[in-house]
Amino acid sequence: MTQQTFKSAKRRYHRVFWPLMAIYAVIVIAGSYGLKQLDPEPLWLQATLAVACALPVIATLLVMMRYANETDEYTRMIQLRGLAWGGIMTTSVIFLIGFLQLFHVVDRFEIFWFGPFFFFAYGLSTLILNGGRHC
Amino acid sequence: MKNIIRALRTERGWSQASLADELGVSRQSVNAIETGKYDPSLPLAFAIARLFGKSIEEIFDDETEAKLAAE
Repeated sequence: MTQQTFKSAKRRYHRVFWPLMAIYAVIVIAGSYGLKQLDPEPLWLQATLAVACALPVIATLLVMMRYANETDEYTRMIQLRGLAWGGIMTTSVIFLIGFLQLFHVVDRFEIFWFGPFFFFAYGLSTLILNGGRHC
Repeated sequence: MKNIIRALRTERGWSQASLADELGVSRQSVNAIETGKYDPSLPLAFAIARLFGKSIEEIFDDETEAKLAAE
């Protein structure tokens, strides 16, 4: 049992999480503003910006996983259950909307929104699992 | 699993946060263990026992053994 497991893991998590969120916000805002200035928008730039926006989010998911590995056992259990419930809820919604599309009930749905939905479902799950407290 | 961690902690005038710091876990972890919502792993149970200078059996109540004895 190492001392300060939880605190050092939390510190390491915040030290990477917030810069990643800042990078993400800058790329999204500057990218969408920059693209509007160009007419026509070059495809290579659109593709580069799309990848650049996705990379900090992917990195955040990896950082969340690292936090779950490094933190104390109770927080790890809550985090992993939260991630599992987030995955279950998101996959369920994907199947539901997918079948609604297959049976022509809904026409079109932006696949992008499944990402924010996952983070919402994960956050809500961890909050409920931890008795309404953030961990 | 029932335990006497809260009693041992208050006896020493420690807060949940200070016990959590000593063990390297979150305050929520201590609270979950004290209230019996979470059973600690063997290494954490040993760390708790070491910290209070007691054996694991003195701190944690083995309900399974009591049930088996009653049968």
